[in-house]
Amino acid sequence: MQLSLGPTQAQLDSCVTCGLCLPHCPTFRLTGDETASPRGRLTAMGAIAEGAVAADEVYARMLSFCLQCRACEAACPSLVPFGQMMEGARARLARERPTTTGRIRRLLVGKLLNLKWLLALVTSGVGLVQRLGIMRLLPRRMRLARGLRRQRVFPHSAVGVHDVAPAVPAGSVALLAGCVMDQWFPAVHDATRGVLSMAGYKVDSPETQRCCGALAAHEGAERDAARMAERNVTALQGYDYIVSDAAGCSAHLKDYGHWAEGGGSVAARTRDITEFVAELIDTGRLPEVDGDGGEVAIHDPCHLRHAQRIVDAPRKIVRAAGHTPVEIDPDGLCCGAAGLYMVYEPDTAEALGERKREQVEMAGPTTVVSANPGCEIQLRAHLGKGYRVLHPIELYWEALNR
Amino acid sequence: MALVDDLRSTLGSDRVRSHPLELIVYDKDAGVTRGEVLAAALPETTQEVAACVRIAAAHGVPVVARGAGTGLAGGSVPAEPALLIVLTRLNQIWEVDEVARTAWVGAGVLNLDLSRATEHLGLHYAPDPSSQAACTVGGNVATNAGGPHCLAEGTTVAHILGVEFVTSDGDVVLLGGKAPDPPGLDLRAVVVGSEGTLGVVTKVLVKLTENPPAVRTLLLTFDSIQAAAATVSGVIAAGIVPAALEMMDQPMVVAVEGFIKAGLPVEAAAVLLAELVGLEEGAAAEAAVVERIATAAGATSVRVAADESERAVLWKARKNAFGAVAQAAPDYYLHDTVVPRTKLVEVMTQIYEIGERNNIRMLNVFHAGDGNLHPLVAYDRREPGMSEKVRAAAEEMVRISVAAGGSLTGEHGVGLEKRDLMGLVFEDVDLDAQARLRDAFDPNGRMNPGKVLPAGARCFDFDLMAGQDGGSS
Repeated sequence: MQLSLGPTQAQLDSCVTCGLCLPHCPTFRLTGDETASPRGRLTAMGAIAEGAVAADEVYARMLSFCLQCRACEAACPSLVPFGQMMEGARARLARERPTTTGRIRRLLVGKLLNLKWLLALVTSGVGLVQRLGIMRLLPRRMRLARGLRRQRVFPHSAVGVHDVAPAVPAGSVALLAGCVMDQWFPAVHDATRGVLSMAGYKVDSPETQRCCGALAAHEGAERDAARMAERNVTALQGYDYIVSDAAGCSAHLKDYGHWAEGGGSVAARTRDITEFVAELIDTGRLPEVDGDGGEVAIHDPCHLRHAQRIVDAPRKIVRAAGHTPVEIDPDGLCCGAAGLYMVYEPDTAEALGERKREQVEMAGPTTVVSANPGCEIQLRAHLGKGYRVLHPIELYWEALNR
Repeated sequence: MALVDDLRSTLGSDRVRSHPLELIVYDKDAGVTRGEVLAAALPETTQEVAACVRIAAAHGVPVVARGAGTGLAGGSVPAEPALLIVLTRLNQIWEVDEVARTAWVGAGVLNLDLSRATEHLGLHYAPDPSSQAACTVGGNVATNAGGPHCLAEGTTVAHILGVEFVTSDGDVVLLGGKAPDPPGLDLRAVVVGSEGTLGVVTKVLVKLTENPPAVRTLLLTFDSIQAAAATVSGVIAAGIVPAALEMMDQPMVVAVEGFIKAGLPVEAAAVLLAELVGLEEGAAAEAAVVERIATAAGATSVRVAADESERAVLWKARKNAFGAVAQAAPDYYLHDTVVPRTKLVEVMTQIYEIGERNNIRMLNVFHAGDGNLHPLVAYDRREPGMSEKVRAAAEEMVRISVAAGGSLTGEHGVGLEKRDLMGLVFEDVDLDAQARLRDAFDPNGRMNPGKVLPAGARCFDFDLMAGQDGGSS
C-alpha cells in the first residue's frame, strides 16, 4: 500500500488558524510560544510545503518538541487531523533530512522494540537493578526507570496465550499484547484476560502479532510502522474484536486505515479495554461491585481522552469497582510521558510531570488509575512512595475477586 | 543583527525568536492579514517588557504587542516591520480580592483561566469573547473585547479598573486603580481599546462579577431569520435584557454540529441562544416571557438546557462556531459590525443579498441582542480574485451597517482591517483629535504604527497650518 500520511494540502487547508487549540497544548502552556503551539506547527508545515523556507534544524526542533498528545485535535472545531499530519511531517523530515540521533531513535522504535529477546534482556536488567537498589544512580534522562513496576528477572509474555473458551462464547477477542506492555505490565494483561473471560469472551493473544507500531509512527519511522501494521492486519484476522489495554496502542490500531491494506477492518474492530468493559457493564454482562472502596483519582491518558475521545469509560469502571472517581485535571493536559518523549525531552517531561503531581496531590486520593503504560510510569516516578498507580482494569479485576 | 543580539542579551536566547520560519509563524493572528516581524520577544516581567521597548527605540524599530494571536482584525500584525512583544508569559494572577471583587492579572493570563481561578469564590470575569478559552486579558483590553455576556454586563472597558502600562519611552506607569473614580482624566478608559497604539499594557486590575444564583439557557429554533430577529426585538422591547442573546444561521449550525455532535437543529433556518440569569424566580419568569415571545414570532421549537453540562455544550457550540468554518472552506473572513437592533432584519437581508450577488459562501453567527453582526465569509484565497472579492464584499457590508446607523466594529477592534474605513464614521476633525491623543502618548509613532487611524489622520493639522500661515502645532 502506498503510504500517504501527509500533511496534504487539503489537511493544511483545514486549519483556519483560529487559535482555539492553543490553550489545550501542553508545550504552548509551558512556553507561551506560538512556535510551540499546534497552530504554529501547522503554519510551519505549510511554509515548508510551500517552499517558503527550507526544512532545517529549527523546523526539526519545532516538530520534535510536540508531545503528539493530540489534545489540539479534540479541541479543533475544524477537525484538523493533527496527529496524522505530525506523523507525516516527521516521516518526511526523516527522509529528507536524516540525522544520526533520528536514525538511532527510529532504529529503536522501528526495529529493536520488536526483538523480544532484547526487550526481555532489558526487563531482566531492570529487575536486577531494582533488586540491587541502585536505581538512583541512573542518569536523569532515565528517570522513567523509577516509575517502573517491579520487574521479573525472568520475564514472561502473554503472546501465544489462548484462554479456554466458555461453552457459548459471547465472541472472540484478540488481545494485542504490545511491546513494553507485554513485558513490563503482565498483571494488566492478566486482569484484562480475566475480565473478558468472565464476560464470556474467548481471548487469544495471537503468536504472529507485533508491536502495534505507534511509537515508530510517532517517530517518523513510516516504513517500519507500515510493516508492523501489515503484520498485525494478518495476525488479527478473524477475531470479532481486537482489544488493547494500552491507550496508545488502541488509538494507533484505530488509525490503521492509513497504515496498511485492510487496516480499516482492524480499526473498526478495535476497542480500548476501558470502552469495551464499560459497555459490558452498561449492558449488564459484567457486574457492578458494591462497597466503598474509597476515592480513586482518574488520570486521562491523552491517547484515550483526546485521540479516542473516551472519557466516561474509566470513570464507569472505577465506580463499578466500588470506588469513587475523583477528577484531577479538567483539561486532561498531558502528563509529559508521551511515549519516549520523557526520555528525549526530560525538561519538558519533568515540568509536565510535576504539574500533574501537584494536581493529584490537590485532589487527595492516593490511588491513581491510568489506562496507558507510559503515563503510569511517569505518574509513579513523580508521585513517589505513598501512591498506588494502576490500570483501571486491574482495580476492577481486584474488586471482582475480592 | 544588533536588535536581536540586544534582545538576546536581555532575555536570553531561548526567549527571542528570529529564524525565518519562526517569523512566519508569528506574522499573523487569527485573521487574514500577514505582516513583517523582525523578531518576536517573550518577556516574563514588566521590566523585561520595558527593556524590550527601549531596545526597539534604540534601534528605531516599531513595537507591536501580541497576546495569544486570536485577534481577527490584524491588531497584532505589524503594518510595518516591527519587533513583536509576545505577552503570553506574563500569565500570573495576583491579589484576588474576594471582598472588593478585584484582581491584578498579567496581560498574558487567558480570559477563561481567570474565571476558573476565581470560580471557587463564586466570581468570574464577565467579558467572554468566543475565543475566551484561548485569548488573553491583555488582548481583550487592547480591543475592548466583547462577548455574548456583554449584552447585560458591558464590554471589557466596564470591567477594567486599572492598567500597568509601559510607555513608548519604556517607562512604567499605573493608570486607574481600585478607587471607583480616580482623580484626574480617566486615562484607563483611553488605554482600553487603543490596540497597542499608546503603549504596552502589562498588568490589568479587573473587576470580578458574582456568579448568578440561577441560570436559564434556551435554544430557540426558527424557520426564518426574520422570525429570529423579530424575537430579538420583541425580547428587548419587553424590557428584558438577557445575559446573552445569540443567533446562528443554518450554515453555521451545520458546520458547528459537525464538530460538537450535540444534536443541534441543523434543519432550522436560524437558532437563538438566550440566557437569563438572576434569582431563581426572576430567571424563570423571564425565560417564560422569552419563550412566549419566540413562540408568537414563530419559533418551531424551544430547548431548555436541563443542567449545567447541557448548558456547557450549547455554549461550546456557540463559541467554537467561528473555528468550525474550515469544514466549509480553507479561509475565512469574519466581519464585525454593529447595527441598531431595530434594523437587524433589514441589514441581514442586505448582507445575504451581497453574498448571493458575489457568489460567496456566507455563514452567520452573532450577538443578536446588541446588534453586533459577524457575517463570516468562507473562501479559498488561492482562487484567483477571491480575496479581492471578499474584501470588497466586506467593505460593502460595513458601509450598509454604518448607513443603517450602526458602527464599524463591535468588539474586534479596527486594527488593519477597518483602518481605511474610519472615514465612514469619523470626520477629519475627529480623526485628527484621535491622532493628537495618540501623539501625546507616542510622539515618535513607534507603538503599533499604521493601525486604527488611517494614513493622513492629521490632515486637519496640515490644513490648519496652511490656513494660519505656519502656526505651530
